[in-house]
Amino acid sequence: MITLLIRYLNLLTITFGVLIVFSFALAYLFPGDVLTNMSGIVPQSDAQRQALEKAYKLDQSIFSQFWHYLSNLFAGNWGVSFVSQADLLSEIKIAFPATIELTLYALLVAVFIGIPIGFIGGLNHHKPFDFGVVCYSVISYSFPVFWLALIFITIFSLQAGMFPLSGRINLLFDIPHQSGFILLDIFYSNIDNKSAAYIDAFKHLALPTLSIAIVTTAIFIRFARRSIMDVMEMGYIDAAKSRGFTTTQIFFKHGLRNALLPILPLMALQVSTLITNAMVVETIFSWPGIGSWLIQAIYQRDYPAIRMGMLVVSVFVVTLTITIEFLSRAIDPARDRFERVSV
Amino acid sequence: MPLLDIKNLTLEIDAGTERVKALDKVSLTVNEGEIRALVGESGSGKSLIVRSIIGAVPDHWTITADRLTWKGQNLMAMTQEQRRQIMRREIAVVFQDPTSSLDPSATLGDQLEESIPPEFVGSGAFWQKRKQRKEIAISLLHKVGIKDHVSCMNRYPHEIAVDISQKFMIAMALVSEPAILIADDPTRSMESTTKNQILKLLTRLNETKNLGILFVSHDLLAISSMAHTMTVLYCGQTVESGKVRHLHRRPLHPYTRALLDSAPSFQTNLPPKSKLSTLKGTIPTLQHLPIGCRLGPRCPSAKRDCVKVPELRSIQNHTYSCHFPLHMPNSGQGKAKKQNIDKVSAKQEAGQTETKLYQRMPQQASPKSALGQIIEELKGENE
Repeated sequence: MITLLIRYLNLLTITFGVLIVFSFALAYLFPGDVLTNMSGIVPQSDAQRQALEKAYKLDQSIFSQFWHYLSNLFAGNWGVSFVSQADLLSEIKIAFPATIELTLYALLVAVFIGIPIGFIGGLNHHKPFDFGVVCYSVISYSFPVFWLALIFITIFSLQAGMFPLSGRINLLFDIPHQSGFILLDIFYSNIDNKSAAYIDAFKHLALPTLSIAIVTTAIFIRFARRSIMDVMEMGYIDAAKSRGFTTTQIFFKHGLRNALLPILPLMALQVSTLITNAMVVETIFSWPGIGSWLIQAIYQRDYPAIRMGMLVVSVFVVTLTITIEFLSRAIDPARDRFERVSV
Repeated sequence: MPLLDIKNLTLEIDAGTERVKALDKVSLTVNEGEIRALVGESGSGKSLIVRSIIGAVPDHWTITADRLTWKGQNLMAMTQEQRRQIMRREIAVVFQDPTSSLDPSATLGDQLEESIPPEFVGSGAFWQKRKQRKEIAISLLHKVGIKDHVSCMNRYPHEIAVDISQKFMIAMALVSEPAILIADDPTRSMESTTKNQILKLLTRLNETKNLGILFVSHDLLAISSMAHTMTVLYCGQTVESGKVRHLHRRPLHPYTRALLDSAPSFQTNLPPKSKLSTLKGTIPTLQHLPIGCRLGPRCPSAKRDCVKVPELRSIQNHTYSCHFPLHMPNSGQGKAKKQNIDKVSAKQEAGQTETKLYQRMPQQASPKSALGQIIEELKGENE
């Protein structure tokens, strides 16, 4: 187990290293002045330029530049936005939790709705319910996310007026920014009508979460259905049947765990799709997350912001993917536990 | 009363356009404390019989039987729940491949302990029950010959040798103290020393606990050393059954004879470097089953009557189904001939011709002369 942990930590560190090198290289690869790309400041005079070059060690070798970049990165000096001259770290600190929140809820919906539905469908293989499940998953899988989000807005916000159009919470509620997660922030805030704030926050969350979750749910349904169907045909299920266990006992003792084991690594693969979808949906719902923030940066050619945004998002995706991968390895006994011993 | 009594069990499989009889009127009984061997080539439907008994049959397969009873209770008429109760306590099964019959994600100890019926564990708090379960499991492991229970119980199936897995399977099967153990080729893909251990274990269980065993295998040597009675299966039909001793000494069905002849260990006077006898051809696939006696095309003594399914006949508990049994030149033939004269239809004629062709072809040296002879013969028949 410890070896496994070390291996995955090693993988994580190396991937981070590569990402950091890449983000450093972007300063050179983006069009324009390297100094501006790196710092986000357009020097107004020669004296300022020289001072900045000295500060970013651009007059020295590329290795000391990288070393300086690295130490700045860990010290929290992420430079400023080219457009707004705001500190990038604090901007990302505000925007990123909003995205994580959205992604997390969508993932929870997908896991807790998709996987049980998939299992029920797979267990009732080739029965009307299963056909319904397959039908639903194919249809919802083929929805383009942005289109779905727009349709939701048209139907539920504009026509039915059930849900708000955009944003995270009504401006009437004055929630101070603390953790960045809106539900946590409401909890920590000292406003009077917390329950009303919660209801409002949930209403704002509903449509964006749903439009991301529906596609991911469809994928999870398909994984779960396939997996449980494969597992239920295994010899050990027959053996358990021959020992006279009830179907429920067989499912919970032997089916569930074996069906979940192969799904977990596939879930890890879906994380990046989920984040991408979240970014698209954020833009549509004006959700103040990293996605709409990055797209703004791209529109305005804000190279320092693009660079740091890319780094943060990719670090998040890589961490999540590798963690899930590690967990699925760690809990699966049959998977290469004695890899190093076997010949 | 026999424990397990099967009479004329037929299993039909929907194979696309047509229905194929994968099992055709199979009869089998297992008495209390008896080791009954079920022998046949691969593909003869041995495992299908096992699956029919335990009820693990897909929905699109149809089972019909005159009798499929357990201690006199009709298994076919039972509800799922009743059948499950019987499987839980009275019938135990050991499958071919132990590693695929064990859950790969649970430790062996857990799997063994969960098989213990709740009524075996006395009252008490859950930790006391767990302790009792563990004790039962350990004593069972000692019974099946696993001495090092500590290291085995915490292992996963992929970490242990195949014979230990099989012993675990047997332990799991025995945990509910069943009356019969259905062992579906339990020694397949095992080397001979481990195989012997398993066989000895089964024999000992039979002797000490009066456990009835249905031993499904194609390993004649193993069967002759342990089984009391034996049923020979060919291509979904029971061809012969009786005491192992009798079948050995005087097989009545040509297939049994061929099966015994093909095992060199049973032939005492086999000269060195002599050719081993085999039946020509292979077992037919389900899509191309011959009509009548399914051995027909391969049978060395097939005649025109063999296109009809032979009835099951029995002499002193030795049953066989053949029109022309060995060692009995008169009995079957006369009867068959009489029937033949009685009802001959054009359809049967066609079938016979086919059988004849099958029979003749391989025995002739030159194809041309063989053809000539067949034409001659057909001419004679038409006249």
